[in-house]
Amino acid sequence: MALPLYYNWRNLFVRKLSTSLTFAVVATLVLVLCVLLSFAAGIRASLAVSGWPQNVLVLKPGATAESTSIITPDEKGRVVQAPGIAHGADGKMLISEELCTQTSIPRRAGEHNMANVAVRGVDATAFGVHPEVKIIEGRRFEPGQLEVIVGKAARDRFDNLGIGGEVRLGRQGNRLYKVVGVFETGGGAFDSEIWGGRTQISDSFNRHFISSAVLRLDDAAEAAAAISYLNGPFVALESKRETEYYEDLSKTTRDIVALTTVLIAIMSIGAAFAVANTMYAAVDGRRREIAMLRTIGFGRGAIILSFVTESLLVCMTACLFGLAGAMFFSGTRQDFLSNSTWTVLAYELKITPTIALGSLGLACLVGVIGAIAPALRASRVHVIEALRKA
Amino acid sequence: MHLRLIYLYRNLTRNKQRTLLTCAAVALPMVIYVLSTAVVSGVDAFLDNSARQLRLAVTHKASIINMLPEGYALKIKSLDPTGERLRAACGMRWIGGKMQNVTQPLSTVAVDAEEFIKAFDDFKLTETEKAAWLRDHQAIIVGRGTAAIFGWKVGDRISIRSSVPPYTSLEFHIVSTAEHAQDANTNWCHRSYYEEDLKKNIPEATQGMVSFFFVKCGSKADLDFFRVEIDKLFARTIDETKTQDEKAFMNEFITQQFDLPRNLTILSIVTVFVAVMAATNTMSMNFRDRFNEYATLKALGFGGGYVFTLIQTESLGLCLLGGIFGALMPYVAFMHTPLGRVPVPVIQHLEIRPIVCLHAIAIAAVIGLIAAVWPSVLALRLKVVAALRNLE
Repeated sequence: MALPLYYNWRNLFVRKLSTSLTFAVVATLVLVLCVLLSFAAGIRASLAVSGWPQNVLVLKPGATAESTSIITPDEKGRVVQAPGIAHGADGKMLISEELCTQTSIPRRAGEHNMANVAVRGVDATAFGVHPEVKIIEGRRFEPGQLEVIVGKAARDRFDNLGIGGEVRLGRQGNRLYKVVGVFETGGGAFDSEIWGGRTQISDSFNRHFISSAVLRLDDAAEAAAAISYLNGPFVALESKRETEYYEDLSKTTRDIVALTTVLIAIMSIGAAFAVANTMYAAVDGRRREIAMLRTIGFGRGAIILSFVTESLLVCMTACLFGLAGAMFFSGTRQDFLSNSTWTVLAYELKITPTIALGSLGLACLVGVIGAIAPALRASRVHVIEALRKA
Repeated sequence: MHLRLIYLYRNLTRNKQRTLLTCAAVALPMVIYVLSTAVVSGVDAFLDNSARQLRLAVTHKASIINMLPEGYALKIKSLDPTGERLRAACGMRWIGGKMQNVTQPLSTVAVDAEEFIKAFDDFKLTETEKAAWLRDHQAIIVGRGTAAIFGWKVGDRISIRSSVPPYTSLEFHIVSTAEHAQDANTNWCHRSYYEEDLKKNIPEATQGMVSFFFVKCGSKADLDFFRVEIDKLFARTIDETKTQDEKAFMNEFITQQFDLPRNLTILSIVTVFVAVMAATNTMSMNFRDRFNEYATLKALGFGGGYVFTLIQTESLGLCLLGGIFGALMPYVAFMHTPLGRVPVPVIQHLEIRPIVCLHAIAIAAVIGLIAAVWPSVLALRLKVVAALRNLE
């Protein structure tokens, strides 16, 4: 027979200070865990929704990212023969030639220090190859005009990128482009970029080549054949699935996850000690009560269960508070300079269900570990002796 | 005094479990504090070293990826023909680099060999290393951190594939592992060697372009002077420049990658806060348990102040124990075991200075005092008669 939950609930209010301090420790732990993990989750989420399985990204062999890749016109000419390329509504092949460069733009927040923002020159085909790009405000740029469209994340994070805003681009930074539209890709990496007409961008930056070509295939299943053709001796370029490329970029997040794990592990052990301390005090203060419970027929198991439940009650409520606190940070924009593309990725801190569940799990673990030794001690209370002290 | 010490000792050992748990709950946050502070001060030390070197970084005004003509080096040097105030101007080109079958990218920079030695005298290369570096076209100075990862040593031949055009594999001969360089990750090779490769593979490519220049100045005043003068020199030319001191240049990269210093500082403040709560919890539990004792002490004639300091010193002792333990653990682990060789992002080698440990211990002491404030004030105000009446 188990003790009623109400008994535990009432007990928590007997030692208000102790309970609330333990509560605060666990809530802080959960808060820190969630915020730290949400950094990594935000970057990952952003890179995970980038790219399509049926898109193949072609780079120069040896280039580690689009920004350091150079594809010459004759190399580009050979790409069209890859098998399985889809055709757009206008009957043109869905091959997007893209030129990736970057520019320095001050951030909106903080000290307005400069960030390297990616600038991508694309043709009209790009919108067929990347159908996730949706204009949410304004219109697309006109080819041949000094006009650009900006990703939603870039607009929110960097200065003067709203519609009607002006941005200086080009090799000398002297071409004044006008922002005519804002686009969204559902949180992908493109959201941190500025897009303009390829020929214009190419001319402004004095870069007469393309960085990458993205091929959209009829079917994701054909990607393997296309990749082996493109990487083969006829074309001799390096291609991979677009999704794979972004997955590789997210590898840098492993460093933060590792660092986070170490710090959280240390903090969790500390929190478990704090919980154990409180529970020991609860047991010691209640020896007579426990003996009484034993006398009226509650078994050792019921006592152990009762103390573990009590600790879990504190930890889980604390976890909910910690999560609620972390939600305040959720959606905050941060940016991060990738060390392979050398451009910034503006991402949102995200409290994903996995993070929420993980922190609940950690809180429970801390609660159980902290309570187990005190609960065992409680179950071993010598009934007669404890009662005699009355 | 003697009595008080005995009482303090007995109090701490009375509930050993509680003392141990509290010590641990204070010690672990202190471990985090020491580790994060060590990383932050490592970054600071890195930047301070950059500041001391009296070097300017000259980049393209529009963006760091735009390149500058190598001839700018001579123009910059013409600002001071004596070579006293402006000691060297070293053109550099970032070529990144990848090892075969290794996914992790390298950081390799191709530099003007002779100017490099003058501009980077803080590398403290030996005369033999200098001679080997200047003599051999294919010489490379590797970062000691990178060397440790791949097991490289002086005399090894390595091949690195450049991440920029022409993306070819280049063979290098290691002449030094730059033991004194602040940056332990970057490798330095001859720019002429890279240029030759570029010319051979892509004849039509523009030759002689550099990513940035590092300019070594004679004094702090010269540094400030040339920072403005260099930009003035190239104003209204096709490629305008942006000149900053080395610290500002480096800081831009560091703060853009997760802003490690800021985030770790916040984290260490939070952990200290957690330790305060854990210690307060214990002290309030102790107070509740010993409510009657304090009443008895007061009844016997010990003043409120005596009881007040008794609780304060106990809390102080408890937290100091935890603090000392928490500060020593990472110190011993990182300074006296192989764990210290684990590479850390940005700073490579985590150095835990004794001063950081002392800070942690001092913070632990403050935690102890804060934790005891409420219980000791309660004890001070304790009404003897009322408290004794509650005696069981």
